[in-house]
Amino acid sequence: MHSRAIGLAGTWARRAVLALLPFLLAAPVSAQQTRDELAQRLPADFSGAQAERGARQFLAAPGFALASVARNPLAPGAEPVGEKTCIACHQLESEHFTHTLHALGLHAAAKADPSVPVCETCHGPGSLHAKDPTAKGAIIGYTRTSATPVAQQTAVCLGCHEGGARDHWAGSIHQRNDLSCSDCHNPMAKFSGDGLLAKRSINDTCAQCHNDVRQQFGRRSHMPLNEGQMSCVDCHNPHGSLTAPLLKTATVNETCYQCHAEKRGPFLFEHAPVRESCLNCHTPHGSNQHALLVAPVPFLCQQCHSQLGHPNDLQTPASLANGAHPDERLIGRACLTCHAQVHGSNAPSGPKFHE
Amino acid sequence: MPAAPFDRAALPLALALALPAVGYADSGSGVDLERGNALLARRGAADAQPDARGTSWLQPGQRRSPSGHLYGCPLEPPTPERLGEWEYDGHVQLGWIGTFGDDGNALWNRYVRWDSGLVLGLMEIALRRPDDGSYADLRASRISSDDAFFEAAFGRAGSYKVQAFLRELPNGVSDSTRPIWNGVGTNELTLLPDLEPGASSSAEVAAVVAGVAPQRLQVVRSKTGIGFDAWLTPRWVAHAKVSEEQRSGARPFGGAFFYNFLFPGNAGVLETPRPVEDSTVTLETSLRYAGSRWRMEFAYDGSFYRDRYRRFRFESPFALTPTRPNATSAPIYQGQFALEPDNDYHRLRTSITRRLPWDGEFSVTAAAGRMSQDDGLIAPIDCSGTFGVDIDGSGVPGGANRFLHDCADWNTTAALSRDSADLRIDTYSFDSRFVLQPVAALQVRGGVRFNREDYRNAYLAYNPLTGDYGYITENGAQASIQAGALGTWNPLTSPSVITRVRSIPLDLQTQGANLGADWRLGERRSLGLNLDTQRDEPTNRERRRVDKDSVKLSYVDRSVESLTLRASYTGIEQGGDSYVPDPYGFAYSSSLPGFVVPGGGVPAFTVDAMRKYDLADRREHKLDLSATLALGRTATLSAGVRGDWNDYDAQIGRQAYDRHGVSLQWEWQPSPATLASVHAGADRARLVMANVADVVFGPDGSLGGPDFPDNARWWVFDKQRNFNAGVRIDHDFGPLRVDAGWNLVDARGVTAYRFASPVALAYFEDGLGGATDGRFPTMRYRVDSLSLGLSLPLSERFTLRVFDLFERGRVDDWHYLGLDTARVIDHRVYLDGGPRGYTANLIGLLLDIRL
Repeated sequence: MHSRAIGLAGTWARRAVLALLPFLLAAPVSAQQTRDELAQRLPADFSGAQAERGARQFLAAPGFALASVARNPLAPGAEPVGEKTCIACHQLESEHFTHTLHALGLHAAAKADPSVPVCETCHGPGSLHAKDPTAKGAIIGYTRTSATPVAQQTAVCLGCHEGGARDHWAGSIHQRNDLSCSDCHNPMAKFSGDGLLAKRSINDTCAQCHNDVRQQFGRRSHMPLNEGQMSCVDCHNPHGSLTAPLLKTATVNETCYQCHAEKRGPFLFEHAPVRESCLNCHTPHGSNQHALLVAPVPFLCQQCHSQLGHPNDLQTPASLANGAHPDERLIGRACLTCHAQVHGSNAPSGPKFHE
Repeated sequence: MPAAPFDRAALPLALALALPAVGYADSGSGVDLERGNALLARRGAADAQPDARGTSWLQPGQRRSPSGHLYGCPLEPPTPERLGEWEYDGHVQLGWIGTFGDDGNALWNRYVRWDSGLVLGLMEIALRRPDDGSYADLRASRISSDDAFFEAAFGRAGSYKVQAFLRELPNGVSDSTRPIWNGVGTNELTLLPDLEPGASSSAEVAAVVAGVAPQRLQVVRSKTGIGFDAWLTPRWVAHAKVSEEQRSGARPFGGAFFYNFLFPGNAGVLETPRPVEDSTVTLETSLRYAGSRWRMEFAYDGSFYRDRYRRFRFESPFALTPTRPNATSAPIYQGQFALEPDNDYHRLRTSITRRLPWDGEFSVTAAAGRMSQDDGLIAPIDCSGTFGVDIDGSGVPGGANRFLHDCADWNTTAALSRDSADLRIDTYSFDSRFVLQPVAALQVRGGVRFNREDYRNAYLAYNPLTGDYGYITENGAQASIQAGALGTWNPLTSPSVITRVRSIPLDLQTQGANLGADWRLGERRSLGLNLDTQRDEPTNRERRRVDKDSVKLSYVDRSVESLTLRASYTGIEQGGDSYVPDPYGFAYSSSLPGFVVPGGGVPAFTVDAMRKYDLADRREHKLDLSATLALGRTATLSAGVRGDWNDYDAQIGRQAYDRHGVSLQWEWQPSPATLASVHAGADRARLVMANVADVVFGPDGSLGGPDFPDNARWWVFDKQRNFNAGVRIDHDFGPLRVDAGWNLVDARGVTAYRFASPVALAYFEDGLGGATDGRFPTMRYRVDSLSLGLSLPLSERFTLRVFDLFERGRVDDWHYLGLDTARVIDHRVYLDGGPRGYTANLIGLLLDIRL
């Protein structure tokens, strides 16, 4: 099977390169397609006149093959009217929608099978709305003023997007807080590179409600979120997960190991709080200390270490490099200058993480 | 000795294995969902223009999301061009950036590598074939060779998708490193020619440091990945993804040759640059089914970490001197670290969900995993000849010269109880939950969960060559300063030495249950209650059982048209069984048969009153309030107040950790031509801890006793306060679009302390002035950023983008005070002077070409 898949990948890669070459080499390009031409590419009607050709070209795309008109409990007598009827009023919305992945799939599916709806897949049957556009609830809406309950909105989306990352949506903190899919996603236009988000990026989308967390990424040590190198969804699954903070993995440490696999070990000599949770010492979003630490060293360590000997002495500024008696227990990385392998040591002489 | 290099063939092999396997590439698993860089995140590259016509002909302005946020104005839709059955659209932004000022500064270059020169701001190409829903997308950006990404995806909507990406992510960690070693970035650090290992003075080392040009230390992550998703049927979806990430570079680390603070002019404390040269292959595969009644998912995740090096060696320049008169230290100078072992991780997971009557669901998730490593172990010490203290001047160990040791007895893996780690942790997890809605106004939910981590195997530190148990401390330096302080126990020669002889398995079992309900008080108002209990049962920790119970009340109100209010309160109480301050006795030589209790008794491991905060009794209160208020049709005001207060029942250890803050955000979108926002936030954190110094090495661990007297107690109060603010405005002046922003981060931290008497202090004399309190200099971090961008369309296909980012950073960290003038302090060597402030400017000129 994988030889077929690799073959398919190779074919597509060749096609992509061939298709792109003229552009990259600044070759003359064909005339622009007008919006009218775009509109003409939509199914003309539901009679099937264009469907025959489409059906030949369309090898059923399973993801859209079962698309059907969404049920709208608030408009029990409504009937589907088809996309063209919708566009008669919502032309501008259609222009924006046409460039989304939803539109691409639904339009192709509708060409192959005229019974596949487009707008009404999400908005429900449109006849009552067409008759009385201002009637509340006549169409499934996803906005603040819509009469459609949030639970109904999410049910429509889950009708196609059930399972996978959304498997634990029911009962999740976002569901219980009455969030709708459309709080984070706006499938009516392409705002983001992927995911049909309401904002241009995942981080901007989450910051709508979690701007306080977003600001933590501006602190002295932080994950590279503000630099665009990672997103909230690298660690969290906003659609629900098995953990309270919506982590994507079963534990905090498993989440961290996704990018810090070297910390996984197991090590010959382990540091108990490290194995228990990285968050015992690190704060995940941003810190004013070095390396996302919760508190300045050595005091971070001295919260737990009062063993006989040197760990439990109180240092004063006189132990700094410019002080009366410089002391390595306070300067620079403090404890970590000697106990450098604090995440665990694989050295036979490393019980105290010196080696 | 380098470990076996990672087999580059593993990536295609893993991919080949992954393809036939069967998740879904989205927020459910893995990382790398979105690629970007600082040029895009800081708006250096131009965004597409909002559509001047707005969202709808039927209604001006923007609608709001159910929570009340304004949707953005859609961007100007592309006008694709035809190429046979395909349509394409794309643009390329090419140009030049220049950096000025302190542009080599590590903070300015954090997670970005600004290099003056040509850049690819952004290339985006989209191809679509409407007839069958096929598509291909290319996206790339390149700031410099260490900071770039390329991603490609092709597929058919609703059928399959193949994605591939390459990414370079820089992480600058120092801009002023002055190493005294050759070989930075490798695992062999040899002293510069002007320094003699084990025989150089502080002045000589300082002179060498002064002559070394400042260097940059960074670690670059280079990642490659490919993923595949396919709808096998409308119900079954398969997903496979494999990636390889290589890290390359160096970062500040450490190096211990015993206490310089205790032995001035002696020992050695070295901040070394350690290499980071490793590779991780990650594999995700899953097959999922979503039907009208059942949902299920079968998944496998794997991770394979390979470090290029097994050991990191470095030389110390300093001579060691024994504390014993008329003796000499063996000339040891070679230090070592075992670098992170290669590790393998496998995890199988199954999740099954069944729809229930009453709009309910019941799901069960079970997973089993294994993380293991069997790296070859390094020898206990890396020396040749002898180490220790030569008391008779012969240089020959043994006999009366009993404090001098033969390296050959310890510098080989034959000195170990086994030659490889052979360690493993097996993990098991189970989660079952239900949600029911028996009546429209009530949702009930509950669940149970179970997690277990089982350590397999343990390590015994035993040297069959000598019959000793234990290990060589600090590269043999302690034994070479303090005669006899080898770090080992022997029933015949050192029967009373207390040292570590075993690894400590940290098995952990967690079980929990929760029950909750949400009452819908009205169409858009709900009240929620959640009860949760969790029991952790760690092995070989101070507590064998830790119980955590919580109650959470929440309230959501969207009933007022213009206001969304969310509020929650959580109360958490943590307790458990009796707290044993020293559960680690079995891992020490005092547990071995033949151990002879020393004359004064076995010293206390720690003070009895210590309560480690992860296990301590704790009471926590959390409050979270957020409101989103619509101000007319064009503006939104969001506000949040939150607090988290933790009280620990600990005389010694963490006593309190409180955090609270407020945030405000105002957004204004009067027309497609204008977008503005203002935000401000402030938060504070307060951490209180207590400790006690010891005055004698005695067996009494009681607080207030002879070892830990009350007059040796001390307290630290760490307070952090952060303020942030920002303004952003975008406006279209006709052909010219202007975007401007200002951002401020201002953080201050004060660490203060109090002590009962000078006995608590590391240096008694510091407390002789009469004061019993003090504070460290204020830690400060402040960054002001100003950005200005202009986008001017030159023609239908060409747009000129000019932007400027000015940033000023200030950082004060007391840990590094004094290191700016002296990196060598007695027998201590520091790589750099810590983070430094900067003033830098970035100018960019990009030409956006529509393809």
